[in-house]
Amino acid sequence: MSVLAQQLLLGVLIGGLYGLAAAGLSLVFGVLRVLNVAHGDLIMLGGYGAFWLFALLGLDPFLSLLLVVPAALAAGALLYWGLFASVVRFHDETRIKNSLLVSFGLALAVHALAVRLWTADERSITTSYGGEVLTVAGLAVPRVRLLSLLVAFGLIACVHLLLTRWRWGRAIRATAEDWQAALLVGIDVRKAYLLAFAIGTALAGAAGSLVSVGYSISPSIGLEWTLKALIVVVLAGLGSMVGTFVGGILLGLAEAVSAAAFGGPYREVVGLVIILVVLVARPQGLFGRS
Amino acid sequence: MSRPRGRRIGIGAALIATLAGLALVPTLARRDDVVNFVFIVLLSITLAESWNILGGYAGQVNLGHAAFFGTGALVTRALWTAGANVVLAMLAGAAVAVLFGLAIGVPAFRLRGAYFAIGTLVLAEILRITIGNLLPEISTLPTATITRYRLADRYYLALVLAAVAVASVALLSRSRAGLGMRAVREDEDAAEASGVGALRLKLIALALSTALAGLAGGLFAYYHISYYPQHPFAPHWTFDALLITYIGGVGTLHGPVLGAVFYTFLKEYLAIHWVDFHLLIFGVLFMTIVLALPGGLVDLAGRGRRWMTHSSCPRQPP
Amino acid sequence: MLEVRDLAAAYGDLAALSGATLTVGGGEIVALVGPNGAGKSTLLKCISGLLRPRSGAISSQGRDLLALHPHEIVEQGLALVPEGRRLFGQMTVEENLALGAFSARARAEQRSSLDRVYQLFPVLEERRRQLSRTLSGGQQQMVAIGRALMTAPRLLMLDEPSLGLAPRVVASIFETLGAINRSGVSVLLVEQNVRAALRLARRAYVLEGGRVVGEGRARDLLDDAHVRRAYLGPLAAQ
Repeated sequence: MSVLAQQLLLGVLIGGLYGLAAAGLSLVFGVLRVLNVAHGDLIMLGGYGAFWLFALLGLDPFLSLLLVVPAALAAGALLYWGLFASVVRFHDETRIKNSLLVSFGLALAVHALAVRLWTADERSITTSYGGEVLTVAGLAVPRVRLLSLLVAFGLIACVHLLLTRWRWGRAIRATAEDWQAALLVGIDVRKAYLLAFAIGTALAGAAGSLVSVGYSISPSIGLEWTLKALIVVVLAGLGSMVGTFVGGILLGLAEAVSAAAFGGPYREVVGLVIILVVLVARPQGLFGRS
Repeated sequence: MSRPRGRRIGIGAALIATLAGLALVPTLARRDDVVNFVFIVLLSITLAESWNILGGYAGQVNLGHAAFFGTGALVTRALWTAGANVVLAMLAGAAVAVLFGLAIGVPAFRLRGAYFAIGTLVLAEILRITIGNLLPEISTLPTATITRYRLADRYYLALVLAAVAVASVALLSRSRAGLGMRAVREDEDAAEASGVGALRLKLIALALSTALAGLAGGLFAYYHISYYPQHPFAPHWTFDALLITYIGGVGTLHGPVLGAVFYTFLKEYLAIHWVDFHLLIFGVLFMTIVLALPGGLVDLAGRGRRWMTHSSCPRQPP
Repeated sequence: MLEVRDLAAAYGDLAALSGATLTVGGGEIVALVGPNGAGKSTLLKCISGLLRPRSGAISSQGRDLLALHPHEIVEQGLALVPEGRRLFGQMTVEENLALGAFSARARAEQRSSLDRVYQLFPVLEERRRQLSRTLSGGQQQMVAIGRALMTAPRLLMLDEPSLGLAPRVVASIFETLGAINRSGVSVLLVEQNVRAALRLARRAYVLEGGRVVGEGRARDLLDDAHVRRAYLGPLAAQ
């Protein structure tokens, strides 16, 4: 029983990162209606950013967020201008299809580059406090992972505030609802798209950093994390940052339950089955506005 | 599309010459790795053309193509190592792949566009993980079979299969079904409204696509001495097919052929310095093509020809 | 205030406008009437920048509007209340109105604009924290007009504001449009309710099949034989 409880706890801890990873994708898809399947590879890059800042400069990974997040923000802006700004000129299905294809190419290129630069080896950040474990109610809570969960939640809360209190955050939400109406009130929708994409990429970078310290990274985690983010977005729906975070936790819990019931090797399958069931049960896709 | 008779004879002669040339490779080539190289090109052509049918002509981007390639490999390997004739085993593998495809096709085609792509990717991943868990041990041919291994057999089978694949696509594109598929690709709702049975056409495309993919998988199982059973289910087979098709020219007949040659060359000969170098180049090329050159390299060649003959290409209204 | 010359527009192969010309002077209320599919909405979309015309010219106070992006046209003082309202349903009345004052120019006058809107539509002040998609049709129309007013427009354009609304509500809204106009805002009104539109407006145009087939003082058009037969007679759809 306590083994299951321990697994569930670990599931919650990683679930927070799933939520953070999904939040970025949700923002991008919700606002731009663009499917970026390279999202997981952006997470991977964020992880390597934190890793090298630690390995070369000894910078604590939680502190290096202060560098990784702005860098990811800038990278997101560049990616938007370079790749997606022309894709958003299309409508609906073509836009989604073309963004899927473009980001597919991006994912492959980024992955190949990462393998060349850093080899296919797994990396992980081990800080001096990395092995510390708190004991709460008889369960072992790795301190680093708990910290990651809190940071992830903090970032989500920040973005939530940005979207509700900041003028451009409201503009982003308006654009997500109805981009033509947004144009009619004087919002430069192109700028809203740019901001949403940049923030989404920043969230991905942050998620990657947290993954590199509590878990491990390698060039091939890209596809895996894109799928995780997709599962949570499909499960939680669009429109709420906090809802996405909760969705991530739910996925983490579902994986823990599945691993306990069917064994470790099938941990990954439960999320994939969930997304398939949801997609097929709602033929319009969960993304279709009711 | 009717061509003047002289031109058709010319194309026919060129085709026969190419096939004859390819048929002579095993006898003329002095090194095995040349034969291996052409084999891989032929396998890639088959895989890419098979994807092209559903993705290029019918416009349904299938990211789970590896599932059918893998299924063909699985069934073929099992039957062939149990003693069955390899061609029959491959046909069985293709049949199972088609059945599997049709079984998921009906629910999957309710999803449109990107959701179909995600759904197929997810399905293929589930299959890969499951196979990997059920059959984790490497599959190696028995020693007796290894001693009898003749590369030329594999090669000729690959040549025949590639020819069949290209011929199928050629026939399809001229058929009514092919025209219907292209209508569905352009605008499914409009096609449906004008009486074109979209679902039926998509299923036909799916059946043909999975059959060829299953055969290609069977060929893979026949060719490799040992591999992990989950390997042919890996997404990189799908991605290879996509890359080759788009870069060559999606929805065209010779696009995938051109792409396959280019891709395999880059992959095999540049692997010396940097294993995944070809993926970086192709990733960038792919993005360029999606954004700027939707017709692929085939289109580039066509534009070059037109530019040289100074004929003006009417621009689409914005 | 607004000059449209020889405007032609199409959706793909479908021609929607083939040479429409109209003007709106400062402080005027101008109505644009005509049957379904005549191109009235298309014309407004072209003016507001949502649709690119094939040919023609649109200018306002000397500026060529065709060179501007839609949000810049709003900055210039031309606001559109689109057909079907197009509110941000997930947001409250207050938030919708606040978004109206997004541009720099509008933001400077946000406080006074809001007071004006609440003065014109007191019910909106009562329901300011209510989610806009839970409002009635008439109230949603008020929010839509209010949101457009928050952009501090010099010209207010409306696309079928009476659609789906009860006659009493329509009358009240038209009265408010009059009040808005009297405060100095020009109005271009596209309407299917021809009688009400011609009663409110000073001048009017009749658009049929993508081109202007009649123009003049609204009062004169009310008496015009063709207009009466096509749009005001007992057989004409109301």
